Amino acid sequence: MKTYKMAWRNLWRNRKRTLITVAAVVFAVFLSTFMSSMQEGTYSKMIENTVSFYSGYIQVHDPNYWESRSINDVYAPDPDFYKKINNTPNVKMSFPRLESFSLISTGENTKAAALIGVDPEKENKMTGLAKWVETGEYLKPGDDGLLIAINLAKQLNVKVGDTLILLGTGYHGNTAASLFPVKGILNFPSPQMNNIGVYADIRKAREYFSTAEMITSTVIMVDDYSSLKHTKHELQKKLGNKYSIMTWDEMQPEILQMIQQDRAGAVIMKTIIYVVIGFGILGTIIMMMSERRKELAIMVAVGMRRGKIIKTLFFETLYIGMLGVILGFILSTPVMLWLVHHPIPLPDKMAEVYEKFGMEAKLFFSLYYPVFLNQILTVFGITISVFLYPLVTVSRFNLIKSLRS
Amino acid sequence: MKKFKLILLILLIIPSFIIAQDAKEIIKKADAKMKGEQSSVSQMTMQIVRPTWERTVSFKSWSKGTDYSLVLITAPAKEKGQSFLKFKREMWSWNPAINRMIKLPPSMLSQGWMGSDFTNDDLLNESSVVVDYTHKLLGKEVVSGKSCYKIELIPKENAPVVWGKIISWISEDEYLQLKTEYYDEDGYLVKTEIGSNIKTMSGRIIPTRFELVPADKEGNKTILTLDMIEFNSPLTESFFTQQNMKKLR
Repeated sequence: MKTYKMAWRNLWRNRKRTLITVAAVVFAVFLSTFMSSMQEGTYSKMIENTVSFYSGYIQVHDPNYWESRSINDVYAPDPDFYKKINNTPNVKMSFPRLESFSLISTGENTKAAALIGVDPEKENKMTGLAKWVETGEYLKPGDDGLLIAINLAKQLNVKVGDTLILLGTGYHGNTAASLFPVKGILNFPSPQMNNIGVYADIRKAREYFSTAEMITSTVIMVDDYSSLKHTKHELQKKLGNKYSIMTWDEMQPEILQMIQQDRAGAVIMKTIIYVVIGFGILGTIIMMMSERRKELAIMVAVGMRRGKIIKTLFFETLYIGMLGVILGFILSTPVMLWLVHHPIPLPDKMAEVYEKFGMEAKLFFSLYYPVFLNQILTVFGITISVFLYPLVTVSRFNLIKSLRS
Repeated sequence: MKKFKLILLILLIIPSFIIAQDAKEIIKKADAKMKGEQSSVSQMTMQIVRPTWERTVSFKSWSKGTDYSLVLITAPAKEKGQSFLKFKREMWSWNPAINRMIKLPPSMLSQGWMGSDFTNDDLLNESSVVVDYTHKLLGKEVVSGKSCYKIELIPKENAPVVWGKIISWISEDEYLQLKTEYYDEDGYLVKTEIGSNIKTMSGRIIPTRFELVPADKEGNKTILTLDMIEFNSPLTESFFTQQNMKKLR
């Protein structure tokens, strides 16, 4: 009989013992898949939030812009600039922005905030800016007015229809001064965004900052964010060193850091789960070995090679692990699938905390492949290490003593 | 014996007192010399130098003490007519192109004025180098061939000051502010101002060219040239009004 077949039969000689061990693995797999899926879901939501609200996945700047944030570090896109970008694989869309700080005033009340010049149609297509307009209406292309973030509107005490005075420094020290009627008030789900400043049509912003055809940034959206680094590289090759190209994690390293810290914390939790489960399996194996000591000794006595016994025992442990993983997945996948589409809403108290960080107050899940792959690898690793016990025992046991036991 | 101790104490205190008084006196003289004891009216040209571009702005300035000042842009044509008013603690800006007056928030004090390396604070002298600082004479050094007092200025608590420390070199002979270093709260050098081109203007010997070099931006500087200055002309407080900001040409 083939060893793997014999191992399978051996497993079912003591059904209860096998099932208990398998159940332990199923439990571990379910728990850590659940955890990983929730983590990944939260992370990708966090990324999506920051990326789609504002920064985009990739931005193209003048090489000095990111450090200086100066209206003097702008660039005029070459004639084929957008064509080059949009023809790069994985690029979904690109759109221009011109932004800088400015004084925003009603005369008596003055605040310093950002003026973001956008292409109203493209901006809305990608970041969905229009859906955050609470009162008033969204910008039309060529509009003279502006949209103001709600907290700033409250501080300045302005309503839709009021006129705001913008005063600042434009390109090469030119004074920027203009009047803008308030077209709409923006209420983002993120408090950070609610203080950001005002949005205006890019044409009006260019006029205001005296930058002619120049812009501060080109925002790029991609189809697949896992190959972002590659896309960045491609863009750099096409556009050359005249431009600096940054991905979202370079622009907002704090988000990536947060994710990495959180991941490290979760690794500890998962390690604890798996160590407990690992010892559970080891316990069962030790028990099984002592129960079968005599049986194994007889088999050796009648001429079975120890190597073959070890092989059989290896398959037995592997089967337990595999069964556990498979059953664990069968159990968790439908749950995860459901949760991906039905995120769990959080209770009010926790919801407040989430909203403070600019996140939707829900627990999101993900079916990102490492969620599953990592479980398979871990369980396989545990199986191998647990198998060390029968390996050592069988190769060393004293035949006579074991026969008499 | 008690009397002797007291005298000794007084003798010990007095010299340090005199030195402190001295440093303050020097700053006071230098400040009054440049700004006028009561008031001053000046015409200046500001050249902003950047690695890739340059720009020149001319303006006229009226000031009375530290409470009142008014600045009117006279060139280039595009900027002409803009004015800035400082009235006690308030700062206002008038822009004729949009026909609007706005109040500048205090946070704008440390911002560059007209895209230059001068801050709004430098221009509208919100703070007084005499009143808002404590002064300490550090010694004497030679700057631009002149023997100078080296004086450290530390802002008093709650003073409306954007600097953490100022070190000023003032010439012994004429009380000319020849070099000034501005430090931030963490003790890092932010910018250096160098006064040169010493001339007699309105009967006073003063530096007429001020070069401001920011410490961390290579190739950036702002040069301020004094074209005309009058001291202690009769200026009343009623000159420094929003009405007048709009009227001045």
